[in-house]
Amino acid sequence: MATEAILSGRGLTKRFGGLVAVRDVDLDVSKGEIFGLIGPNGAGKSTLFRLIAGIMRPSAGVVTFGGTVISGRRTNAVCRLGVVATHQIVRPFRNLSVLDNVMVGAFFGRRPRPAQERARAFGLESLEVCGLADRAQSAARTLNLAGQKRLEIARALATEPQVLLLDEVLAGLNPTETDRTLELVRTINGRGVTIVIVEHNLRAIRGVCSRLAVLDEGRKIAEGSPDEALRDPKVVEAYLGPGHA
Amino acid sequence: MFKSIAWAVAAAVALAVPFVFPGAEYLREVLFLIFLYGAMATGWNILGGFTGQVSFGHAAFLGIGAYTTTILTDAGWSVWATLPVAGTLAAIFSLLIGPPAFRLRGPYFAIATIGIGEATRLIALNWSSLTGGASGLTLTGVASPLAQYYAALVLCAGAVAIASWIKRSRFGYALAAVRADPDAAETLGVNTTVAKTQALFISAFVLGSAGSVYAMHNLFISPDSTFGFSTSISFVIMPIIGGIGTIAGPLLGAAIFTGLREQLEANPLLAQYNLDLLVFGVLLCAIVLFEPQGLLGMFDRLTAFVRRSVATARRPKIAGRDGN
Repeated sequence: MATEAILSGRGLTKRFGGLVAVRDVDLDVSKGEIFGLIGPNGAGKSTLFRLIAGIMRPSAGVVTFGGTVISGRRTNAVCRLGVVATHQIVRPFRNLSVLDNVMVGAFFGRRPRPAQERARAFGLESLEVCGLADRAQSAARTLNLAGQKRLEIARALATEPQVLLLDEVLAGLNPTETDRTLELVRTINGRGVTIVIVEHNLRAIRGVCSRLAVLDEGRKIAEGSPDEALRDPKVVEAYLGPGHA
Repeated sequence: MFKSIAWAVAAAVALAVPFVFPGAEYLREVLFLIFLYGAMATGWNILGGFTGQVSFGHAAFLGIGAYTTTILTDAGWSVWATLPVAGTLAAIFSLLIGPPAFRLRGPYFAIATIGIGEATRLIALNWSSLTGGASGLTLTGVASPLAQYYAALVLCAGAVAIASWIKRSRFGYALAAVRADPDAAETLGVNTTVAKTQALFISAFVLGSAGSVYAMHNLFISPDSTFGFSTSISFVIMPIIGGIGTIAGPLLGAAIFTGLREQLEANPLLAQYNLDLLVFGVLLCAIVLFEPQGLLGMFDRLTAFVRRSVATARRPKIAGRDGN
């Protein structure tokens, strides 16, 4: 891929005591693509995700965004630079309205910080994109799981990110909701936002990603187009056990 | 609209009372206390209610304000000139304790604030050359009761104005987000440490200023009366009684707290054994258990219930539904 890398990881390692959750991973996400991060349970996907999002500090290695080192910075600073993450387990501000939830992102994620009316307009726009405009005034706790997952995305989108990191946004959704969410991911990508998506659902991710990285036991074992990566014998072995490759 | 009219009427009545009833000293005294405690409760609520950081150590700021006014007046300052200094010193002190305390969350933060409150009390008790130690200090400058009344009123109105501005501002969104989920707020670009520190700064300024007026009123202050733990507790009780995190709640709580305490202290049996604290303890438990949103929450539920009942009564009956 000839396009420049917008988000890169070099030698990323995360240790929890004696356990090495992520081991020396290099990663390059190109501008404008949808990059998938997959692997069996416990492979270190979510840890790697948190390292990239600035939620956790790597034990070793660096993450750069457009040439700036972002690992080790506060999460809020990483967000304001243009890299924003959604949470795997939804964390809406339950007692605030859906619009107020999104306005927090619009107020604080953008540079420069907008005034109230502009923040409101940005908020309504991202609710529109995520199909939540009709629920703007409801309390966030009244949304169902699919709605709360869309709210996570809407809130992140309101910060006007250059890179959007999605952590298992499809988990717990039925097939219809899954299709709607994948459509939403494509729409957001169509607006010029680079997307990194961590996912369990291989079939869903295969259709949406331009490239995949596969993790197993903390190491990157394959990378490439979805078809290439999923056909790789090491990947088949990681998912199905030895003898199936 | 209705709310702004209600606030304007309340302010007008408060301004007029000393002129309409010039002889009613007790009424003026009670209203003074309500305004003063209302300002304290509103100040505490900016951190404890809006931001969700429950502090059991806010007496530290009240004490700093009260001692500042007393010491500076003794040094020859005019009483009124000490008021902004009192607020400012308390706010500056908050910058020292905020950043380390905010590394702790929830109950751990609350426990740390108890320590801060007690530490300041012990410093006041032992730094005798400055504070007079356990024997306390007497304020030498005197502000007239009428001037005190208006000082408390302006302080209270100012605190309410600040609180309602915060609620509607961008800053208020940051505080609400921190209260709801600090981690999610941080991922959306809110610097949660800065937001909490700013909320504490404003809160401490209000408490410090209130401490100044407290000293003008009481004339005698001691480490136990200003920095005491029960003082800190009263700041927690008032907003919870009225409705934590709201604008009117802390004022309502202050009115009930002040009124009830006046009654309880007038009862010799209760006063002898400090049983007034028991009454507030039971009240606090009842509210936390049955109506965590306080009296305002109860009021909202009641109006919603009445509205629903009226709507049900008006709805035409559907045949068959009421049968059997």
